[in-house]
Amino acid sequence: MRTRIPLLVCLVSGIIMFAQYFSSHPIAKTVYNGILEWWQIIFAFTMFVGVAAFIRNSLKNMRRKGEAPYRVAALVGLTLMPLLALIGGTKFGSPFLWAFDNMIAPMQSTVFSLLAFFVVSASFRGFRARTIPATILLLTALIVLIGRIPIAELISESFPKLTFWIQSYPSMAARRAILIGIGLGSMTTALRVILGIERTYLRGE
Amino acid sequence: MHVPSPLKCVFFLCVLLVLNGGSVVAADGLTDDSSWFKFDTLPTLIFSIVSLAIVLYAIWSVKSGKKFRIREIPGLKAVEEAVGRATEMGSAILYTPGWGGDIQRPTTIASMNILSTVAEKTAEYDCRLIYPTHDPVIMAVAQEVVREGCIKAGHPDRFRSEDIFYISSSQFGYAAAVDGIISRTKPASVFLLGTFEAESLILAETGNSIGAIQIAGTDSTIQLAFFIVACDYTLIGEELFAASGYLSQNESILASVKAQDILKILIALFVVLAMIWATVSPSSGWWAF
Amino acid sequence: MTTLRTRWILFAGLAVVVIASYLITVHFRTTASPATQAAFDYLETLPESSVVVFSFDHEASSLPEIKPISLAMLRHAFQKNLKIVGLSLFAEGTAIGYSLLRKTAGEYGKVYGEDYIFLGFKPQYISAILGMGESIRRVFPQDYLGNVTDTFSIMRDVEDYNDIEMVISIADGDRTVQWIEYAGPRYNQKVMAGLTAAMITSYDPYLSSRQLYAVVGGLRGAAEYETLLGKRGGGNRGMLAQSSAHIYVIALVLIGNIIYFRNRKRRGRG
Repeated sequence: MRTRIPLLVCLVSGIIMFAQYFSSHPIAKTVYNGILEWWQIIFAFTMFVGVAAFIRNSLKNMRRKGEAPYRVAALVGLTLMPLLALIGGTKFGSPFLWAFDNMIAPMQSTVFSLLAFFVVSASFRGFRARTIPATILLLTALIVLIGRIPIAELISESFPKLTFWIQSYPSMAARRAILIGIGLGSMTTALRVILGIERTYLRGE
Repeated sequence: MHVPSPLKCVFFLCVLLVLNGGSVVAADGLTDDSSWFKFDTLPTLIFSIVSLAIVLYAIWSVKSGKKFRIREIPGLKAVEEAVGRATEMGSAILYTPGWGGDIQRPTTIASMNILSTVAEKTAEYDCRLIYPTHDPVIMAVAQEVVREGCIKAGHPDRFRSEDIFYISSSQFGYAAAVDGIISRTKPASVFLLGTFEAESLILAETGNSIGAIQIAGTDSTIQLAFFIVACDYTLIGEELFAASGYLSQNESILASVKAQDILKILIALFVVLAMIWATVSPSSGWWAF
Repeated sequence: MTTLRTRWILFAGLAVVVIASYLITVHFRTTASPATQAAFDYLETLPESSVVVFSFDHEASSLPEIKPISLAMLRHAFQKNLKIVGLSLFAEGTAIGYSLLRKTAGEYGKVYGEDYIFLGFKPQYISAILGMGESIRRVFPQDYLGNVTDTFSIMRDVEDYNDIEMVISIADGDRTVQWIEYAGPRYNQKVMAGLTAAMITSYDPYLSSRQLYAVVGGLRGAAEYETLLGKRGGGNRGMLAQSSAHIYVIALVLIGNIIYFRNRKRRGRG
């Protein structure tokens, strides 16, 4: 019973969502809009669950060796932003927006910029002409790297065109093949869930 | 020259008779705004029915005794090695589903299937499993999956709910936190399985820098390139979806993977047919629905 | 080879190269790629008062790359007297989107509620995208500033996607894919994108299949758009830094291979 009811809910929901896609009848639209609204409401409530779990977990792990400074920083951030929003609102010129522009945005950009540094170390380590396929990959990467910058046009006007060709044909063909596989994999996984074959996400299975 | 697809014509008529039952049909083949069936979705319906029929046929053929098997997938074979290494080193295992997905995404479901096996093995070897996530719902489901894995391994007491936790819905807040956890706890093995975006290389390179054995897999083609460079094993696209069949050896799941292969062959045939047709008759475009 | 010390040297080298590039002013000639040209031409030929949606589907992290793209496209839209409906499917994109809209609207003397509106953020992006196909007002009953959406003249003739010429998703991730997959096939909504450079290639299949109308990609795309528009901005300013970083990576790859072959030769002798 503990798994049968969720499986039945899953099957019925799956069939409804599948069927409504093909219909523009008012009844289908009403059902569909209702589901969308419920979806939004449920999502909003899950945020409370997440924040509560985060606070509980942070307090619990505070005593762990070396964890306290990180946990305190996280909890201060979590409390400060809603407080600023409650006190001064979130509109132009508010303390909340000041904190967002001058603290959150630069911190986030800093973490994002790490990507550039890691691209450097990964390229340095990964692009080695060990085998013939690896050499082809290396040469292709060098052409694309040069072709994506304005200097390429100064070297030869063919560089950007060659880059465009590599990205549009050989690279795209490979990606499409992977994407078709992913699409089919997603579809069969969804079908397995709807039909109740895939039950790992359910407790008691 | 406009060449109508024979399948399109047959289904057009059938569905018109069965579903529409007299509602107004416009001259261009599209129904009015309130009909039971939207004719512009017909190709999708045809493909869905064909796919469903093939999946059901494959499952039915298993029930009648047919056996299917999946080729060896190195990334999944290495799960045991990754857990064993962590146990030997007395370190933890870090498993994260990436920032890009939510629970309704098939990639997340596929990741949960692998998590189930990893949880069972970590409970068996008494190894710590850390699971940070960006989504509260994923957190709740992962807790249940890991709890179940511990029960299956015969060690329900080894389930630690505080190790499966929500961090932040912000992409780089999540990336920074997971990066910090990897740097501080130095897990022996890192599993990056799910939907990843720009954070993929940040996490994979950090894992690489601490010398962790890394198993990754995602449905994002661009992040796959990063994982292949920085990780030891990478599940490419559909391998991630085949994982639950491979790990559980459940016959019905294996059959659905087989059905996936049949569909792939059909798509390949369709592409070849359309390619030849386009070469012979460049002005026709019946396949471009 | 890639020890912690080597990593630090590589990282420090990149930092020096990028910082130094921003201290020098060099003007590059940037020829527009077909994708950027298509985006520009589309907005250029739209009739006045056509409604376009700008969806700021990104976080604060990608602002240095996303901002020049957004500014160039917004300026173009206002210059052509198009009506702009702004929104965000990312909480962090909300404040950024509003301030960029306000800034560019101010430059062209546009009036809030008449020439542009910002509807704010909606969580659960899939249901928001799908819901907008049924009724935009129902998904966004109030704008970002808390006013009833219906009270603005710009929204009087905007009911659903039928009244929107183009959705321009400014994104740093795969949110544009959701616009393509949900607003595209179901509601026949045209979609174009402004993307971070890291994401461009993952959108190529959608672009070539015409599911995605056009893409303005990365700093390079912003520079191309600025050149087409005749207004230099952050995109062009960043071109030297980007070029230098690319050359730095190329140099490192070559050095890495020289070291690799030298070591292999030594091992061979040993």
